[in-house]
Amino acid sequence: MRIDRQIDGMDIAELKAELETLHSASFGWALSCCRRDRAEAEEVLQTVYLKIFEGKARFRGDSSLKTWLFAVIRKTAIGEHRKNLLRRLRWSDPAEQAAKQVSAADEPGQAFEKSETQALFQTALKTLPRRQREALHLVFYQDLSLSEAADVMGISIGSARQHYERGKKRLRESLGQTEVAYGIGWRKENPGAV
Amino acid sequence: MELVGEKRIQALFSELRLADEQMIPSFAGVWNRAQAQTFRPQRAFNLSFLAATALLVCALAALALWSRQWQRNHDALVSVPPVPTAGPAQVAAATKGPEPTRWEQRRSSSKSRALRLAARRRALLVAADRKAAHEARTLASWESPTATLLDSSSDELLKSLPQLSQTVDELKSFLPSSPK
Repeated sequence: MRIDRQIDGMDIAELKAELETLHSASFGWALSCCRRDRAEAEEVLQTVYLKIFEGKARFRGDSSLKTWLFAVIRKTAIGEHRKNLLRRLRWSDPAEQAAKQVSAADEPGQAFEKSETQALFQTALKTLPRRQREALHLVFYQDLSLSEAADVMGISIGSARQHYERGKKRLRESLGQTEVAYGIGWRKENPGAV
Repeated sequence: MELVGEKRIQALFSELRLADEQMIPSFAGVWNRAQAQTFRPQRAFNLSFLAATALLVCALAALALWSRQWQRNHDALVSVPPVPTAGPAQVAAATKGPEPTRWEQRRSSSKSRALRLAARRRALLVAADRKAAHEARTLASWESPTATLLDSSSDELLKSLPQLSQTVDELKSFLPSSPK
């Protein structure tokens, strides 16, 4: 299907090319916003592209395309999460939900996350409050500056810095604790090794 | 000692990114699906919108009915003439007349109900007026029980002033009595 229309002065083909270069980063961010649920992340990304295509989300050039796109992804993910929660509350069968969760955990792409360190890291990350997790992800994973992260999260740079610092501290603490616990457990299991 | 430094966090996030890169869906696939969704015909109506509209219509209808009813009652109260006392001649005339139809009966019964209502309301108003008048009279005639204690024999003297046209003898009455 050929599309020869423009979105806010930007040619759709041009925008598509830009989005394609940002696709992997966008997916990573969507994954983080969807609590590592691959299917939900994909759905969110699709909704975001749809919003852009329909002109519901418009890039006005106030910030970089990346931060704007990330902000749209974040908002969409929050909205989708809310919708899914409502849907689950209304229709869901608990047994079906449990089966879904099990199948999601058994996806082949998530096999990597079962490695010890990553599993610990993922658990520690999940215990962080959303804003702190977002700040850490944007800075460490996406290599954004704090000011860009603040733009994405829709907060002031001061707040972003606070979330970032607190998140880092909490992550360090919980990782330290789990690693110490893991070490103690390992030494107990293998007394002859030390 | 800091077990997990900033570099450690950075390394963990890099590892995570590498893992995520293996499960990225193709851009073309996601984009095409989004595009296909754009051209999908929209649902003719939104369920929640429909429910809200129905609710609004119901509320408007109820309001209209209520206001109509209220208006009718109000009109009946305002236009009701004073209750006529039916004399024997009138009663006889009424009994002699043609048989009233069902519609007329219903109409006359509703009319008499309105008349009764108006008469009752008028009686209540009159009773309230009477009560208010009685209370006003009681209040006006009220006197303090200790008011008599304030009376004295020199009240007249203190409350009146000597007049210019009075004689010397009369004026002397205002002077304190001196021993003779």
